[in-house]
Amino acid sequence: MEFSHYAPLWGEALLTILAVLVVLLGSLMKNSGKLMGYLSAAGLVAALALVASNLTIKPTLFFFDTISVDALSQFFKVVFLVVSLLVVIASMSKYTGKGADEYFALLLFATVGMMVVSSSVDIITLFVGFELASLSTYALAAFDRSRKNLEAAMKYFIFGSVASAFMLFGFSLLYGMAGSTHLADIAVASLDNFGPATLVALLFVIVGFGFKMALVPFHMWAPDTYEGAPPLVSALLAAGSKKMGFVAAFRVILIALVALRMEWYMAFAMLAAVTMTLGNLAACWQNNVRRILAYSSIAQAGYIAIAFVVVGAAYGAMPVNVLNMGPIRADQLGIAGALLLILGHALMKTGAFIGTALVASNVSKGSETDPDDISNYAGLAKRAPITAFCMLIFMFALAGIPPTAGYIGKFVLFSSAIYSGLVWLAVLAILNSALSLVYYLRIISYMYLKEAAGPKIKEQKGYVVALVLTLLAVVWIGVFPEAFINWAMQAAAVLLPQ
Amino acid sequence: MISNAISLLIAIPLLGAVLSFYAGTKAKFVALIASLIPLALSLQMYMEFDKTSKIMQFVESYNWVPSLGVKYTVGIDGIGFPLVLLSTIVSVLVIIYSWGETKKPNQYFALLLLNEVGVLGVFTSLDFFLFYIFWEIVLIPMFFLIGSWGGPRKDYAAVKFFIYTHVASLVMLLAIFALYFTYQMPDGSRTFDMLTLLAATADKTIFPTSMLNIIFAGLLLGFLVKMPAFPFHTWLPDAHVEAPTAGSVVLAALLLKMGGYGLFRVILPMLPHVDKAFVTIIAIIAVISIVYGAFMALAQKDIKKLVAYSSVSHMGFVTLGAVAFTWMSVTGAMFQQFSHGIITCVLFMSAGTIQHVVGTRVIADLGGLADRMPKFAVIMMAGFMASLGLPGMSGFVAEFMVLTGSFATLPVYTMIVVFLSVVTTAAYHLWAMQKAMFGPILKKYMNVHEPHAYELFSMAMIIVLSLIFGLQPGLITDIMGTAATQVMEPVMTLTEMGVI
Repeated sequence: MEFSHYAPLWGEALLTILAVLVVLLGSLMKNSGKLMGYLSAAGLVAALALVASNLTIKPTLFFFDTISVDALSQFFKVVFLVVSLLVVIASMSKYTGKGADEYFALLLFATVGMMVVSSSVDIITLFVGFELASLSTYALAAFDRSRKNLEAAMKYFIFGSVASAFMLFGFSLLYGMAGSTHLADIAVASLDNFGPATLVALLFVIVGFGFKMALVPFHMWAPDTYEGAPPLVSALLAAGSKKMGFVAAFRVILIALVALRMEWYMAFAMLAAVTMTLGNLAACWQNNVRRILAYSSIAQAGYIAIAFVVVGAAYGAMPVNVLNMGPIRADQLGIAGALLLILGHALMKTGAFIGTALVASNVSKGSETDPDDISNYAGLAKRAPITAFCMLIFMFALAGIPPTAGYIGKFVLFSSAIYSGLVWLAVLAILNSALSLVYYLRIISYMYLKEAAGPKIKEQKGYVVALVLTLLAVVWIGVFPEAFINWAMQAAAVLLPQ
Repeated sequence: MISNAISLLIAIPLLGAVLSFYAGTKAKFVALIASLIPLALSLQMYMEFDKTSKIMQFVESYNWVPSLGVKYTVGIDGIGFPLVLLSTIVSVLVIIYSWGETKKPNQYFALLLLNEVGVLGVFTSLDFFLFYIFWEIVLIPMFFLIGSWGGPRKDYAAVKFFIYTHVASLVMLLAIFALYFTYQMPDGSRTFDMLTLLAATADKTIFPTSMLNIIFAGLLLGFLVKMPAFPFHTWLPDAHVEAPTAGSVVLAALLLKMGGYGLFRVILPMLPHVDKAFVTIIAIIAVISIVYGAFMALAQKDIKKLVAYSSVSHMGFVTLGAVAFTWMSVTGAMFQQFSHGIITCVLFMSAGTIQHVVGTRVIADLGGLADRMPKFAVIMMAGFMASLGLPGMSGFVAEFMVLTGSFATLPVYTMIVVFLSVVTTAAYHLWAMQKAMFGPILKKYMNVHEPHAYELFSMAMIIVLSLIFGLQPGLITDIMGTAATQVMEPVMTLTEMGVI
């Protein structure tokens, strides 16, 4: 057993060591906030480089076949690392004083947890990764210790625990049926022992993941938490930890429970349709920008869930020339579309929440006005031009206006739905896209068309750097999507039998 | 021969937009230069353009997203080129007209140039993906022009404009998807190439009529909303009334033409292969748009709203000429697009000038303005005459061609239009003109004076253009005639299609 054998996992190792180091150094040194920020950012960049060096690696198993490093895991690790990096960069302007070391350490632990989940092919490992990420984010959600923070964290914690309980119960049934915790073994066993217990297991797993992915009707915690948590933590929750739910669901449902394809096909068809419609409708009535973003996030989860429906409908279909990539399959295209949307949405949402953080950072503590109220965004174009412009592009990107990352993801995903015969779902999704413009345009018109509602906002360096980097990424993916499409296709292939 | 002429045509205003954004108060000079270069370029292209050729000219094609079959393909033929010319001309004149803009001039001129980028892109792209991107990009500058510089209800108008037309675009996008996923190239790959896909719609084995009907309806909706045709026109009066003058001009002169362009480029090649009932439906929509637009215009109190409804009415002629599907009506409809594009500028500019000189646009409150502003009155009069179809001006030629051409295949519809709209159209133009400009001058307007020279200049230029093209329509109809032949080549008339 060579040390270099574990090279594909050095990224996780590095971040774990760094997180411990940050905790230790933080307790030894005073006023180390700035240093910890830089250290975390550097560690995330290094981890990103390590992951990127194995971007399209052939599936490789580690630790008694519980961890698999493959194109899919690398795709999600890149998403998580990029999100964390952007959040850390922005946080460097906010968390500089006492307690900053804890903040950065928790953030790193959460990132490691998410990375573990994206690699897990074993339900126990998956659960452990899930809990690592969740526990760290529970603490982060309350980090500013305001009343609102505590309420948000409490809600998040309770719902999160219930979700974990559902998930674990589902897992226990799966284990009982298969006698193994490996996803591959469960897949084989569920083909042979199809019975009511498997159905119940599926139900529990869907409910558990449904909470994490914030699908309607398991979404109630999301708006309250995203609104109440510190805004930068909301970015991590919406863009990072929510996507963790998706990778886990992809692996467990698409691989392990493939025998119940018809059942989860029906379930996700309904969940996707209801989630995107209710998410968008609810967002239209909100006056709090972070609540709007939260509901938009729910709607986007609805779009992403279309991938499950596409896979269910097109599973095992003959490869055909769907696009110009040689013979490929509609189900692969569907997952690739979901991955592109996940990547795009992670960036756009991180950017948007960082924007709200910047606006909120300017409102003094104890002020009566709610810093996230949409009226506080009036005339933002004048008060904080860079932030407003970045937010503008993020809003258009979230609405799917070309040429942005949001457009490419929706394009590939919706076209896969049409291709696999789910025209009704594609039509519904596209109409939903149009509906979403109502609230995105509302934010835009407050920022650009209304008279300024307050003094100029100081655009702190950390926030601005993070915003501009995100903006560049969102536009880059939109204008040069070719490489990203190919990458997502490779990642999607991991989930499907060759 | 200029290489990459079309890319330059699109890139220069884009660069100009960025530069004028940072140019502060000097933005207008930057914008003028950035719009004059494309004008010169398009005139040069006019010289080089082969008027008898039916194939695409100035074509450029590069791979963009090979895995999706997306290419950056641009080119022009007789359908697109007159509108390219129109866009470059109108953009220059609108920038000159707005010379005195003082509210955030850098953003204002940047947005006008971005609009030019969008419409030029729409009129030249030959790849549906690219076409859709430009189609959507146009919405953004117009949204801000209305929303930032508009009238009292600007927020409502801007959002309504954006959402209404965006929904229509999405329906169009679905139809494009359907084309894209149904047709496979001989080597099994997919393409967004517009000409290839449209040619393929003729093949009944690939596109059965029942399926093509749905695709056709989706595309048609996208274009009719943009035109706009009754009953999808309701966004237009709001957008026009609230938009600043330059915004209204660009909206009416260029953005509406995107819808008409779609009819010629996409709808007509498919028309022979879809259900025959579509001809009747479109013809009815066209006739209602013409007649309803004219009567609504007659009923308006606000002169700008009157002009907005006259746009609905005039664009109806484009739809009618297109669907009548004779060589003359199609050529006439293309010419109507061009002609309405220039004439409507002077109407909206007149309305804008009256608003800022007098302070109101309500026709009943105006009167005798010609007394104080005779030069303006002459130009405005000429514009209104051009719009109502005075012989010698371009509008007359266009509408005459449409009506003559349509009479051959759709006589009943044409007669309805002739009986109900010609007199009404003359009536609302003359009535508005008479009430607003002539008669005894009201006391409160004794201090009114002529508008700025740059406003008069750009309006006068349009009258000159309208006269030139009215007396010498061959300058541009030669190109359109070739395009009409090319569009109708597969099936020549409605008779051969079995409609009548």
